[in-house]
Amino acid sequence: MTLAMWLAIFATLYGLGMWLLLPRRIAAGRAAGAVLMTAAVAILGTRLVPPGALTTNILFYALAAVTVVSAVCAMTFRSPVYSAIFFAVSVLATAGLFLVNGAQFLGVAMVVVYAGAIVVMFLFVLMLAQPEGLAFYDRLAFEPLLCSVSSGVLVFLLTITLLTPGTLPSVAPLAEAGADGRAADGLPGVEAEAHVAAIGARLFSEHLISVQVVGVLLFVALVAAAAIASQSRRSPPPRTAEGGTA
Amino acid sequence: MNEVALLQNYLVVGGLLFAIGLVGFMTRRNTIVMFIALEMMMQGVAVSLVAWSRFHNDFSGQMLVIMIIAVAACEAAIALSLILMLARRSSNLDIAFWQLLREEGQEPTLDEEVPAAEIEHEPWPELTPAGVEPELDPEKVRYRSHV
Repeated sequence: MTLAMWLAIFATLYGLGMWLLLPRRIAAGRAAGAVLMTAAVAILGTRLVPPGALTTNILFYALAAVTVVSAVCAMTFRSPVYSAIFFAVSVLATAGLFLVNGAQFLGVAMVVVYAGAIVVMFLFVLMLAQPEGLAFYDRLAFEPLLCSVSSGVLVFLLTITLLTPGTLPSVAPLAEAGADGRAADGLPGVEAEAHVAAIGARLFSEHLISVQVVGVLLFVALVAAAAIASQSRRSPPPRTAEGGTA
Repeated sequence: MNEVALLQNYLVVGGLLFAIGLVGFMTRRNTIVMFIALEMMMQGVAVSLVAWSRFHNDFSGQMLVIMIIAVAACEAAIALSLILMLARRSSNLDIAFWQLLREEGQEPTLDEEVPAAEIEHEPWPELTPAGVEPELDPEKVRYRSHV
């Protein structure tokens, strides 16, 4: 079978599985959806080229599978608490993928900022705002069939574009960089021994203005969040969907 | 190491994360789950940027990911305070509650058939009432929040 046929099978299984897994009026078929989705991920895994030595391959395949499967779980579980926890698992696996790909600093930053801060904030808001039990809007979804079909088409086009030989450049500049792995301008490259020192040298020389802009942005966001949160305290009485006061 | 295969595989993973997050954003109605889907799409972009960064032996991709993480933190703070404010006004997290804000001429989203809850009630043991009902202090009964 050709690559296109395999990928078409993958995209079909993915779309079907996504449709079965998403919240719908009829709750039946979720186990079948899980089986189809697992099969789809496995088929895609067999189409990927193993990137390197045995350890790297095992690490990559395991982490990629955990990332994708927990992402699907985060989007399809009814309870938003489970969604937040599966999102944290997906972020942790992504941090592992970053470590495999020579981005140690970013791996650690993902764990600290995403899994450590943002997910905890999600859970706080959930505890504050979520009514008890599963709400009806968690058991319904907007247009699950249309979205699954279009997502299946999207992943088919993406994977066939990326996996067809010849689309991507065939020689990596990293492979030509020489023994010391220096970048084109002489500064240490991505695979340098002192990774954080190299990243800091770049960050505070070439990208200094971006760092300052991001600092201002963080400060503005802090002020905005405080302003929005304090505004709601003196809000008018809540209104129902029909327009009357509750 | 086969650098091209590595780049290909990482781009596939990033694209899948983006597609899955897109489905979640379009279909789910809980505002917090929608926001998680948004973060997942950004994560897919970050995976792709890191892969290109290694392929080109250039730190610019990783710098962009650092900026993405900072912007995501800002966005989380603002979005969650907005969600909290909306939740206080509507007392739920349903995005369809705010469909009065839709454009003129748009059909409203109606949901008549809500599926039954899937929560099974745990069978608690029932005790037969016995003994004399205790005397309660009327002052305490009045100010007790719940029994």
